[in-house]
Amino acid sequence: MEVTMDPLFLAWSYFRRRKLQQCSDICSKILQDSPYDQAAWSLKTRALTEMVYIDEVDVDEEGIAEMILDESSIAQVARPGTSLRLPGTSQGGGPTPAVRPMTQSGRPITGFVRPSTQSGRPGTMEQAIKTPRTASTARPVTSASGRFIRLGTASMLTNPEGPFINLSRINLSKYSQKPSLSRTLFEYIFHHENDVKNALDLAALATEHAQFKDWWWKVQLGKCYYRLGLYREAEKQFRSALNHQEVVDTYLYLTKVYQRMDQPLTSLNLFKQGLDHFPGEVTLLTGIARIHEEMNNISSATEYYKEVLKQDNTHVEAIACIGSNHFYTDQPEIALRFYRRLLQMGVYNCQLYNNLGLCCFYAQQYDMTLSSFERALTLVANDEELADVWYNIGHVAVGIGDLVLAYQCFKLTLAFNNDHAEAYNNLAVLELRKGHIEQSKAFLQTAASLAPHMYEPNYNLSILCEKIGDLQSSYTAAQKSEDAFPEHADTQQLLKQLRQHFAAL
Amino acid sequence: MSSLESKGDGGKWLDAHYDPVAGLYTFSSCVDLADLSGDGDSRLVVGDLGTGSTGMKLKVYRGTALMSESTLLDLPAGLVALFIDQFEPRIPVVAVASGPCVYVYKNLRPYFKFTLPTLEINPVEQDMWQQVREGQIDPVMLKEMLEDVRKKADVPLSDRSLRFLSLAADEVDEFVQLHKQQPIRRQTVITCIGTLKKSTADEDGISCLVIGTENADVFVLDPEAFNILSKMCLPAVPTMMDVTGQFDVEFRITVACRNGSIYILRRESEKPKYCIELPSHPVGLVRVGKNVIVGCSDESLQGFTQKGKKLWRIPLPAPITTMAAMELPARGLQAVLVGLANCQVQLYRDKNLLSTIKTPDAVTSICFGRYGREDGTLIMTTKGGGLMVKILKRTAAFDERDGAPGPPLAQSVRLNVPKKTKLYVDQTLRERENGLAMHRAFHMDLSRMRLAAARTYFKVLESSLTPMSCSLSEPLKMNAVVQGLGPSFKLTLNVQNTASCRPVMNLAISFLYDDNLYRIRNAYMRIPLLVPGLIYPIQTFVECVSDKGVSDIIKVFVLHEEKSAPLLTAHINMPVSEGLMLS
Repeated sequence: MEVTMDPLFLAWSYFRRRKLQQCSDICSKILQDSPYDQAAWSLKTRALTEMVYIDEVDVDEEGIAEMILDESSIAQVARPGTSLRLPGTSQGGGPTPAVRPMTQSGRPITGFVRPSTQSGRPGTMEQAIKTPRTASTARPVTSASGRFIRLGTASMLTNPEGPFINLSRINLSKYSQKPSLSRTLFEYIFHHENDVKNALDLAALATEHAQFKDWWWKVQLGKCYYRLGLYREAEKQFRSALNHQEVVDTYLYLTKVYQRMDQPLTSLNLFKQGLDHFPGEVTLLTGIARIHEEMNNISSATEYYKEVLKQDNTHVEAIACIGSNHFYTDQPEIALRFYRRLLQMGVYNCQLYNNLGLCCFYAQQYDMTLSSFERALTLVANDEELADVWYNIGHVAVGIGDLVLAYQCFKLTLAFNNDHAEAYNNLAVLELRKGHIEQSKAFLQTAASLAPHMYEPNYNLSILCEKIGDLQSSYTAAQKSEDAFPEHADTQQLLKQLRQHFAAL
Repeated sequence: MSSLESKGDGGKWLDAHYDPVAGLYTFSSCVDLADLSGDGDSRLVVGDLGTGSTGMKLKVYRGTALMSESTLLDLPAGLVALFIDQFEPRIPVVAVASGPCVYVYKNLRPYFKFTLPTLEINPVEQDMWQQVREGQIDPVMLKEMLEDVRKKADVPLSDRSLRFLSLAADEVDEFVQLHKQQPIRRQTVITCIGTLKKSTADEDGISCLVIGTENADVFVLDPEAFNILSKMCLPAVPTMMDVTGQFDVEFRITVACRNGSIYILRRESEKPKYCIELPSHPVGLVRVGKNVIVGCSDESLQGFTQKGKKLWRIPLPAPITTMAAMELPARGLQAVLVGLANCQVQLYRDKNLLSTIKTPDAVTSICFGRYGREDGTLIMTTKGGGLMVKILKRTAAFDERDGAPGPPLAQSVRLNVPKKTKLYVDQTLRERENGLAMHRAFHMDLSRMRLAAARTYFKVLESSLTPMSCSLSEPLKMNAVVQGLGPSFKLTLNVQNTASCRPVMNLAISFLYDDNLYRIRNAYMRIPLLVPGLIYPIQTFVECVSDKGVSDIIKVFVLHEEKSAPLLTAHINMPVSEGLMLS
């Protein structure tokens, strides 16, 4: 004889096993029979929320609209070391762009790609809306549209027959009186329906009902304000929540607010304050390291990443960042160790093998170099990764002097990724060696237009033009190179030489 | 600000006056200090260039106020104050050179005008115009003949003939009718002006005017009658001059010329005695004691003896805007002030930098001397038309730091070279032990990699996947830029012909895309003839018709009319269209 399980218990069990769809289905059935079953209703809202839940603490990408139409920035020209928006305010003796490549925003590339490490702030609208916003590296128009709208549509897809809760009919003040229901309802509105205004109303009513003493509701209020772009109000709520209860999450939310307001130093102080209460907390340490990294203070960032590893020795971001830092400070053998550690931890992807291959090559472990790249080639997921692998193989080929292979590799890079400025630049140098001046010039010009943050194409173009006697073009190209990398000694020397040439009779 | 500035120059100067909106636009050659009323109170006389076409004025400042101004007819080329008579009280006149004339002002009222003598006219040219007047030759013929004369004759053509030659065919007749009655003349203009004491070396002795002209002559004028006492010829057009000595005894005229040479003229010689050939154009010429100091356009300052021997050369931090001498006989100070484009004025004694003054704007003219009743006054005008007056403190002492350097500073900076780690040493050990095996493994892998690369490359070439074609007949390159947030995108294809000299014709562009997602306005476009080296932007608009928030690749092909395979292909990763979602 079969004993049927209590459906609510089964649903609860499904929920705990994260079989959210089944959980939601059972709850729907229960609710059909008894529409006023609060437990089932609450469980279903939780299940639906969990389906689309994203940790709000995580870094999010600033949208184009938020950057271009930014009203909260006070000082247009911030003092060095106080702003995240000024690239090139290097403090901590990181490697120069000659050693470590730059991203478009003028920061050294990181070892770990996360939102806001790739593109930084575009200088102009033109730059903001240009192609690098492809499907894989999209910068949303606003942060409210990029991620959250997609979540909203996701919720529509899961409920083809209509929304589970009709928000316009719901009596928020009634629910706000019931603490057991109001929290799940809030999370449902906030995450699943992505209706920040209603969520804010509910949170405001609930916090009033709790006589302004409940830290959880204050944090939720802060989240709503943050989502609406009211950073000062969000700051107030988070601060007040922290007075009631010290929670790591609240610290993280608050620092996020400060970073949005471009006050990295306040964020750092807050992180340190948080560390006093929660010593060795990994998320706080990672936050500090990230800010240091964004402010070009690579050595401090590495310090903090090491601190992170002491607490959590499987932290992928920390391992990857320290590894890449060692690679670019001329210690590839140590970088190799870190990447091998990642491999041991079970990270098994194209990027890792790509890095391993390069580290092996520069650490003179030649027997493992090309096999790593081969493995990377078998693991590629899309064309852009393929392009990166071929680009690195091209570097190895240049290193061993096999220019035919190098030429093929760079061409392959361009075939798989038409916007690979570095490959254009290297190809131009190879073409120049073959004596194809026109082609070389065309490639360099393309590279310069694709990546205005790189100094190499402009510098190469400058040398090329100088050699063929076109001093005017050489001078303009050298000036662009100087803009991109003011400390570059070779550019300076070339400029000096050109100026002398112009002044001489 | 003033306290900051005085720190910058070591507290040697007092800021007496600064008017950033004085509206004075002038150069060092048009500024002088003189006691114009004979009361012992020195005034500043400035030939203001105005906007360069209007508003040229002769301005006189007393203290901080503008005392008088009178309009000048033409741009001033130079301005000097000099004594031309022995009458008491001793009042100097102001001579302003502009165009072909020198206007002499006494008590700030026009006193005399000297005009340069007209130049010799080519007799052939004169004969031609004579014939035109008599109607013997028509303008077309005149034009041919004048062209002929211009190429062959030693004496250059007159201004009128040159203008005539530059006219268009339909304006010729009118011009001839208008001008044929007047006789032709050839006139030159003054380029620089200086003064030379007549017979005594006294401060207030009578002086002669020295004039350099566009015709590469130098004239010395008699102070009373303004007739030409002496005429000297130069090989090039003078631009700046410095004069020393007395006309009746012995003198030296140092002239910087437009061909980048400096000539030194002496009494009793029509031709220059010495010549200094500079490596670049001179922008400033100052005599300090017996040496000539020249600022060059290659950001350097050079010192020469008066016989033209080079003494020293120092590099400067920025291009020179102007130079002036600073002489304070009471304190035995002889130095040169150099205005730089980086908003600094540097003071040099020989090749040693004595002090640096920071100015709020780049300085265009400098004048040092007695102003009011103060001997050591520095007057500067700036690029933005400001007037600045500084007074040298009586306590100021210029100590000569001899810049004889030891080893350069960079030599003692330690390079941040990372240490070789133990790991590295271990790895080298491994390399030493298994060298052979590693080498073999590497070569094995390398051969495999070459094969893999060649295969992929072949495949890519076969399907023309690269964004550049390397075929010899059509070497092309393309890159694509997508702009916009959606649902409308602008797609720009930059096509370039990378051949060295051959144009490419008969090309077309077409697209391959999912028509459920995108609509392209012109799905087939013809490319015009491609001239080598130029970038041709070809634009079209792409509309995203899907509202699912997905994106796709659009393939672009460049086709040749007679070939079925595309010449090159570009894959465009389209961004996600956000416009539809927002609405």
